[in-house]
Amino acid sequence: MKRMWAVYRKEIVDALRDRRTLIVVLVSSVLLGPLVLIVMSGLLAQFETQAEKRVVVVSGIEHAPTLKNYFERQTYTVQAAPKDHEDLLRRSKLSEPVLVVPDGFEEALLHGDRPVLELVSDSGNRQAEVGAGRVRRLVEGFARERGALALALRGVAAEVLEPVEVIGRDLASQQSRASQLTAMLPFFVLMAVLYGALNAALDITAGERERGSLEPLLMTPAPRAAVVAGKWLAVASVSALIAVLSCLSFLPAQWLLRSDTLQALFQFGWIEAGLFIATLVPLACALSALLMALAIRCRTFKEAQAASSVLLMCVSMLPLVTVFNQEGEAPWHLWVPALAQHTVMSRMLKGEAVPFDMVAIPLGVCLVLSLLGVMSVARSLRAAAVH
Amino acid sequence: MITVQHLAKQFMPPRRWFRPAPDPVRAVVDVSFTAPDGHILGLLGPNGAGKTTSLRMLAGLIEPDAGRLAVDGVDVVARPREAMAKMGVLSDARGLYPRLTARENIVYYGLLQGMPRDTAEARATELARMLDLMPLLDRRTDGFSQGERMKTALARALVHDPANIVLDEPTNGLDVMATRALREALRHLSTPAGGGKCIVFSTHIMQEVERLCDSVTIVAHGRTVAAGTVASLLEATSQTDFEEAFVALAFNEAGSA
Repeated sequence: MKRMWAVYRKEIVDALRDRRTLIVVLVSSVLLGPLVLIVMSGLLAQFETQAEKRVVVVSGIEHAPTLKNYFERQTYTVQAAPKDHEDLLRRSKLSEPVLVVPDGFEEALLHGDRPVLELVSDSGNRQAEVGAGRVRRLVEGFARERGALALALRGVAAEVLEPVEVIGRDLASQQSRASQLTAMLPFFVLMAVLYGALNAALDITAGERERGSLEPLLMTPAPRAAVVAGKWLAVASVSALIAVLSCLSFLPAQWLLRSDTLQALFQFGWIEAGLFIATLVPLACALSALLMALAIRCRTFKEAQAASSVLLMCVSMLPLVTVFNQEGEAPWHLWVPALAQHTVMSRMLKGEAVPFDMVAIPLGVCLVLSLLGVMSVARSLRAAAVH
Repeated sequence: MITVQHLAKQFMPPRRWFRPAPDPVRAVVDVSFTAPDGHILGLLGPNGAGKTTSLRMLAGLIEPDAGRLAVDGVDVVARPREAMAKMGVLSDARGLYPRLTARENIVYYGLLQGMPRDTAEARATELARMLDLMPLLDRRTDGFSQGERMKTALARALVHDPANIVLDEPTNGLDVMATRALREALRHLSTPAGGGKCIVFSTHIMQEVERLCDSVTIVAHGRTVAAGTVASLLEATSQTDFEEAFVALAFNEAGSA
């Protein structure tokens, strides 16, 4: 026991003195998440101001006084489109779609000839695409009004045209709407845990082999179990530390959010941060043990990096299952590490309840993996020292 | 007191697919030597003679196929932890932790030996004084020279004041002055004033053996081919030059065996 703490203490000191690696990990995994969140909020704020602007960009409005009148009644401001609007849209320089009114629109409208309006947008231009839906609805409103008027003149009730009425009712709670935007948050903290564990785990195993310090270490009478347990605890601690920092870094990031809606919707307080950390710590333990078990079989740090890249890829790709899989949560998700944590954390963000089995299964899986990993390291330690 | 009797070890090279199983490599066939306390024994042999493998078995890193290893009467295979506690081993691999200071490196091994922290600290200072490491003690080992590394590794191996010291090619990569200093230190350790340690070291350098050893065991092709003092070996081969004696013993014997 005493020897385990000696190993633990030494490895923690060693890991914390590796300043350069530590700083890179901190910047990449702890600061990246909040930064992306802030950028997202800026983008969202831009969308919001655009929606509030109530502007419609039209080319050739002079051909359609009735349409212009309708727009103005809807309190929209009509702006003339620049001449080279197609080019500007393509290059994403223009953030509004352009409605093109052809010559003779007014006469065609009066004669009931169904004149054609062209809505020019570019599907590669995100902002214009968002605006296109709005303009389309606006023009449809105009068409409906014209139709209703024409029917009313002939003494037909407007309801004939719309025999069915549709009213939308959104079941999503405010939090779950926000979680669409904050869905990447669990992903970022998962990455933080992974990269936090990576360097320490490789340095403590393959690095030790490469330096030639593993052989003398095993020539001391310290029991192998104590050495491995101390090392594992040290890696898990470093990884958990990075996880804690990464979770907490989202707290101050919220103050910088520029979108009021996002700020209102993004509910990540001390309680959520605490729950996240509780979810992540078992994962940190399991990943540390697995990385060590992989790396102890490699002679050099570089070899270990190559070997661990498979694990890295799996862990970073697994949460994407929820993106590609439209069916929502499946029971087997809970049995897969990383994916399970992602599911649980997404639920917490949505403000949904986390039932007992959602806590117990991932925890059990992580415990078993940690145990297997540590045992595997202990078993191959001596062979690793000699060869 | 270190006793090694009829040690043998063979390794299986890794099997390749679709090829017949390779022949095992017989690294050690029959090595025996005995080093009493207060005695310096040199394990002399050409490269690849099985010296390092023998010493690794003595340190409990590899299990021997046959033979008996005992340190102060404790069997290494049966009770490895107890045996290791009685030995200080400076192995072929002498990696230090570059981000720790020399003192931290030494104290860490003291803690692993089960010493209390303050005892280990005191012992580190004592060893540093003996090995002339004082000015380096609180520097990180990152920029140490070969000799400085070796001294730190030696101090690390001796931190628990073992009665038996095993060194694998300790003078590798050391310059004349460093080699001399090391020789002085070892000689001091073997005297009653230095604790009357039992010291076994392997080398392929004759001068080391001539200058330092109380007795020599010559190992070639995994076997002990000769043992005795330098003088007795010279006499046995009727040579005046120890190098000639060594060549006669190590290579002729191996050729006839």
